Amino acid sequence: MKKEIAEFLVNGRPYDVILEAHKTLLEVLRDRLDLTGTKYACGTGECGCCTVLIEGRPVLSCLTLAVTAKKKKITTIEGLANGGLHPLQKAFIDYGAVQCGFCTPGMILTAKTLLDETPQPTPEEVKFALAGNLCRCTGYVKIIQAVLAAAQAMKRGEK
Amino acid sequence: MAEELSVVGKRLPRPDAAEKVTGAARFVGDIKLPGLLIGKVLRSPHAHAKVLKVETGKAERLPGVKAVITSKDMPRKLFNAAFWNMCLADPEKAGEIQDQFIFDNKVRYIGDAVAAVAAVDEQTAEKALALIRVQYKPLPAAFTPEEAMKPQATRIHDFAEGNLCWPHVPFPFGAGEVEKDFAEADVIVEDTFYCSRQKHAQMELDACIASFDAGGRLTVWSPAQLMYLARRKMANFFDIPEGRIRWITPYTGGGFGGRLAFNAEPICIGLAKKAGQPVKLEYDRHEDFVAHDSRTPHKMDFKLGFKKDGTLSALKIKLLADAGAYLGQSGMTTAVCMAFGLGHYRCPNTAGEMTIVYTNTPPTGGMRGYGNPEAMWALEQLMDVAAEKLGLDPLDIRLRNYKKVGEPSALLLPIQSLALEQCVEAGAERIGWKEKRALTGNGMKRRGVGMATMTHCSGAAPLLLEHGNAALKLNEDGSVNLVVSPTEMGQGILGVLAQIAAEELGVRIEDVRVVLGDTDATRFDIGSHASRTTFVTGNAVLGAARQAKGKLLERAAPMLEASAEDLEVRDRRIYVKGSPDKAISVADVARDAIYNYQQNCGQITGECDWESKVVSPPGQACFAEVEVDTQSGEVQVLRLVLAHDIGRAINPTNVEGQIEGGAMQGFGYALCEDFVVDTRTGETLTDSFTAYRLPSFLDLPEIEGIMIEEPDPVGPYGAKSIGESSLVAVAPAIGNAIYHAVGVRIKDLPITAEKILKGLKQK
Amino acid sequence: MARGLKPFEFIEPKSVKEAVSTLSRWGSRARLLAGGVTLVDDMRRRVVTPGCVVSIQNIPGIDCIKGDGKSGLKIGAMASLRAVELSPVVQRDYLPLYEGIHHIHSLQTKYMGTVVGNLCVASPASDIAVPLVALGAEVKVKGVGRTRSMPVEKFLLGVNRIALKRGEMVTELTIPAPAKGTGGAFLRLARTAADVAKLNVAVVMTVSGNVCRDVRIALGAVAPIPIRARKAEAALNGQKLDPEVLSQVAEVASQEARPISDFRSTAEYRTEMIGLLVRRGLETALERARGSSRRKVT
Repeated sequence: MKKEIAEFLVNGRPYDVILEAHKTLLEVLRDRLDLTGTKYACGTGECGCCTVLIEGRPVLSCLTLAVTAKKKKITTIEGLANGGLHPLQKAFIDYGAVQCGFCTPGMILTAKTLLDETPQPTPEEVKFALAGNLCRCTGYVKIIQAVLAAAQAMKRGEK
Repeated sequence: MAEELSVVGKRLPRPDAAEKVTGAARFVGDIKLPGLLIGKVLRSPHAHAKVLKVETGKAERLPGVKAVITSKDMPRKLFNAAFWNMCLADPEKAGEIQDQFIFDNKVRYIGDAVAAVAAVDEQTAEKALALIRVQYKPLPAAFTPEEAMKPQATRIHDFAEGNLCWPHVPFPFGAGEVEKDFAEADVIVEDTFYCSRQKHAQMELDACIASFDAGGRLTVWSPAQLMYLARRKMANFFDIPEGRIRWITPYTGGGFGGRLAFNAEPICIGLAKKAGQPVKLEYDRHEDFVAHDSRTPHKMDFKLGFKKDGTLSALKIKLLADAGAYLGQSGMTTAVCMAFGLGHYRCPNTAGEMTIVYTNTPPTGGMRGYGNPEAMWALEQLMDVAAEKLGLDPLDIRLRNYKKVGEPSALLLPIQSLALEQCVEAGAERIGWKEKRALTGNGMKRRGVGMATMTHCSGAAPLLLEHGNAALKLNEDGSVNLVVSPTEMGQGILGVLAQIAAEELGVRIEDVRVVLGDTDATRFDIGSHASRTTFVTGNAVLGAARQAKGKLLERAAPMLEASAEDLEVRDRRIYVKGSPDKAISVADVARDAIYNYQQNCGQITGECDWESKVVSPPGQACFAEVEVDTQSGEVQVLRLVLAHDIGRAINPTNVEGQIEGGAMQGFGYALCEDFVVDTRTGETLTDSFTAYRLPSFLDLPEIEGIMIEEPDPVGPYGAKSIGESSLVAVAPAIGNAIYHAVGVRIKDLPITAEKILKGLKQK
Repeated sequence: MARGLKPFEFIEPKSVKEAVSTLSRWGSRARLLAGGVTLVDDMRRRVVTPGCVVSIQNIPGIDCIKGDGKSGLKIGAMASLRAVELSPVVQRDYLPLYEGIHHIHSLQTKYMGTVVGNLCVASPASDIAVPLVALGAEVKVKGVGRTRSMPVEKFLLGVNRIALKRGEMVTELTIPAPAKGTGGAFLRLARTAADVAKLNVAVVMTVSGNVCRDVRIALGAVAPIPIRARKAEAALNGQKLDPEVLSQVAEVASQEARPISDFRSTAEYRTEMIGLLVRRGLETALERARGSSRRKVT
């Protein structure tokens, strides 16, 4: 099959990747760019562990052909904060919203989208926004608390 | 413990959280090695068949294929996939049966492994699998225990007549005279309950990397929960001395009992051996459902005899378990189910019988709670049935029959501590038990409250070997390297152990760096199962820290012109008790121990090897409030209150997280998780998250955890376990609440709207 | 089973014309890529192994959402589920469609997936197809040198089967403007909030005074494709909208399907619940038609 040199823009950095059309974005991120923070957990789009942001929108990288993400702004968990921690990352740590950590990268990125769209969400809005992200460990309670706390911190202007 | 603690008991962030929120935390699948090959397994499309021939020539010749393995490449040794047999002096006597080969001349379920390949990439491996020609001779298959036990059923394992793996084994720890007491009982309640094949459904798919170095030493990366036992098992299987295997468990993305048995490891090691290159074998989610075990489903016949005043006097349990194609952990889970079923309450006359049957379905095993949730599903509902018959409040019938400290626990040894009554009291108050029980609804939607209780264990003594180890050293800056060997699978043990060490040594949690997950660096520890690590490994850490503290104070004493007994360490400073301003730092003393120019060197270290010889069961009372739509049968869980007898919460945030997480797994077990095998074909119908439903954010009820802290005499700082407990009592609490709401009792899991509606119509 | 996909040719046409001529050239060996949520999953599971994937993601202008409650609604092939969900026009005037999309809970799926794409999967329990049937939606299909339209009910032929000929693609959906006095509702039952529906129902009803002027009742997950409960509709048309009438009509509806048992539910339960959901759907649609309960969209 045809190979091309494809340009990807991930976490603010350009990458040139020798790409075949049948590669998913998740494979490119993990196998070619060594960004292993984004995880493969179900392959059917049910769990959200592979979530990354493309132009600020949350997408399932395991169901995205890499070839359709060329030249678009991609954010993975590694690029959420430039050195230091995003208020969401800090809140997840402080509120015990991380247990095994496998769902965490996808969860945080989806939560970021929520806070971008709705800076002061209600608990219901948090639940709706994260409904496509499964967690088997935490029982969800502390994740909701962490997102609400991060929203408060961001309102106070904390970085 | 009256003194104020500065680290233990505090809501401190876990040390591993920072890596996990930044994506830096590595799981097995994230690890890369030069020359790494990709492994793939060929699995049987038949539920039951002889394997007549496996032709691998074409596959082997495909460019990019480095190894193809079949039964002739693997040791022809029978084994049982579970690790727990290492914890018994005589596993066979305990009923363990070794009934598996890696690649047998027979396949016994759809998904059973037949061969495997290692190739340069996944595409090539997939092509290679397609080139392997297998000649099968299909055999008649049985997909339910009833079918398998029929006289005309084909034998799944040659040795198992009637496909009985355990043919009607009496439980060895019964007591008294059950039948006699039933004859004299005032009230008898009995019924049959069914529990289901709940899947662990951990987010991290199974993966393994195996690599033989030039000298033939094997390194394995695996998410196994019991790494030393896993290593020993593989050492025995492949005839490699344990010391020539280095087992590494980085972070594990969820265990829940799914990693107490082999998954990808044996095949991965076999591939690496033949290929002469490192191999990574990763499952996909379909394989996780089909080729990885689940909770063992049981048919449970419970019979309880009571005196008029509600005293439980006789209890008989019959369990019929479906082992699937191989026994694995099913024997242990069934025995534990029986133990907790018979042992949760005080009862002078108990008896049990266990039957385990093979079927041509995916092997079943053990999951969080390990038989206890199964038993409580039946027992705690029957307690309510009895309460109703006797005109007693469900709380009262239970309070009357709980065991007390000193009485033999469900695991035989005397109970070290138990605050179950306080749990019941606290939970009842929080949910508003009295008022809500008195309400009767007549509307289309009806509410109800119900409860259930449980006790579990903090480690598996005396049934299984309980052995933990900790070692630590103080660095020149006063920081600590703590070397331990549990598996960090999300339960937060890494942070808990750091807190214990920090508290005892008088430093801060950030001063303690925990080293774990490497058999070359750590000492023996059983690992993470049976809710043992806080209790057993925690005690080892406490012992190691105490030893180190002793040395620290000995060295500090002359520096402070005092005697060691008069010294105290707190927040990195050592001082004479009562004179905190005249202090020296831990760092100063630690440095002096390393760089001592007066020929008095002696790096501050500590070590402790600890075995548990006691049973300190945590207790929990779970209260559920539900609302049932009487037109559709749908039930909504409004609220779960779980009051847990923790002894001491080393980290309250952690404990709450375990309460909440366990509760949602209990919720799933109760209401929506249903592992379905087509009983006509043996095909697993629920082989994805689309079909097998995990609860999401939108299914979340209000969950409140209450921690009851009555310190245990043996647990570190009084702590007992929480790891498995929260899953155990949720389903029966919901079942009892539904009965209170609409008078319908569901006996087979999961509870569904269909079953409730049917029950409403039959009334 | 695999984690990755099998190789294919990837073509990105710049116009509908180019797309249909590519599809025509490749015939059954081509698959159209819109959001990819279903296609990529199907490819991974080897349910489909196309020789060519034709992406319509970069064709300008086909992601539009145009119209309002007076002129009717047009939804382009690449309009995402999320964009349609957030559209104030959809929320105000085409509420059952909003409710169907809203029940797809994954935000990621809604950003990636398209309304037309979901329809074209032709799933019997589609939360999109059922409201579209009740709303009287039509698909516009373009092929090489031809255009045709048909109602959604004619477009859906069976499980995963749609009425597209070689070289054709759906370019847009149109939904007729609701008449004055129209209200609609979408309801579903499922094991968990995000599960595929055991049963879903959409009702769109036009009312004048206390009489039903027009009604469409769509049932999902009870047949290979979403169906209209035509006998029930006939029983209600022109009738007075009393509670007993609604109950009777619901009863008629429950006789119009022969659902199956599967691991999500049983035939008996589904059959009985048709009656319940239709009745509740009719009641809600009636309330909304009368304007007495303006549904607050959160």
